Amino acid sequence: MTDVSLFEAFVRRYQDMVYGTAVRLLGSPAEAEDAAQTVFLKAFQRFDEVGASPAAAGWLKTTTRNECLNHLSRYRARWQFFSELTRPDRSEGDYADSLVSPLSHALDLEQAELREQLERALRALPDHQRVPLVLFHFEELSYQEIADALGASLGKVKTDIHRGREALKRLLPDRP
Amino acid sequence: MNAEDLERLADRELRRLPPPRAPHTLLPRVMAAVEAWANRPWYSRAWFTWPAGWQAVSVAALALVVAGGVLFAPRVEAAASNAIAAVQMFAGGVADVAPVETTAQSARILWRTLLEPLATYALVVVVLMILACAVFGTALNQVVIERAEQR
Repeated sequence: MTDVSLFEAFVRRYQDMVYGTAVRLLGSPAEAEDAAQTVFLKAFQRFDEVGASPAAAGWLKTTTRNECLNHLSRYRARWQFFSELTRPDRSEGDYADSLVSPLSHALDLEQAELREQLERALRALPDHQRVPLVLFHFEELSYQEIADALGASLGKVKTDIHRGREALKRLLPDRP
Repeated sequence: MNAEDLERLADRELRRLPPPRAPHTLLPRVMAAVEAWANRPWYSRAWFTWPAGWQAVSVAALALVVAGGVLFAPRVEAAASNAIAAVQMFAGGVADVAPVETTAQSARILWRTLLEPLATYALVVVVLMILACAVFGTALNQVVIERAEQR
């Protein structure tokens, strides 16, 4: 039987990593919390193997990523069908405007505030831009690996990531 | 700014972001879910998580059911024939049972010529497929863990 206190320590140790991965992929704190709970429940079910393993962090990362991608494909608009469309309630052009003030004002913000805005803007990106962007920059997957994971073409992944970067760049001060 | 510069800029800025912190509600939620899961009776969990003894018992029970089906199929067929004959006897003076008799006869012929020769093989195939699924599932379980550990 799994020692509950051991498992609690395990959750405390990895909860930020699991939740952080989930919230960036899903863009929603509530859904990220659900996903993190599911991942930790899976970890508990095989805690004898995972708990003591030096690769526990890797297992959790992979499981979290898969859980989030499954969640996105299961509960949200199908990737292949809707990824070329903009959300009716949030077009690509105005999502950043809804979160931050114009660039000239952003330049005056404190660095911490800018990062907070960047984080929020990242989460506010449409799924088809945010997910490959997060997989590339945070999960360190290659373009091809992302295309395979999402079942999308390589060209489409590159285009979506580029558009996501362009959208985020509008928030950043102009510097080399 | 070209695409490569943009990639570098985005990478630099995104990596500067502090990792998001889990909300304070996550740990109690997880522990409550874990407790609820741990308190479930073993038979309501996935078969792969059953105690090994009960896994063996369930496989043996399944094998018994299949073997019983193979052994008792001819007797069931005989009993069915007797039942049909009895119905024919009772109904013979009352109504015309020819259509019923024809249907029963056709079903019997169909069973003997087409289905009965294949029944044993079909049952063997079903049992083998169930066993293969169990073995494959167990192996997959192990592979998933090993692959995750290699990452």
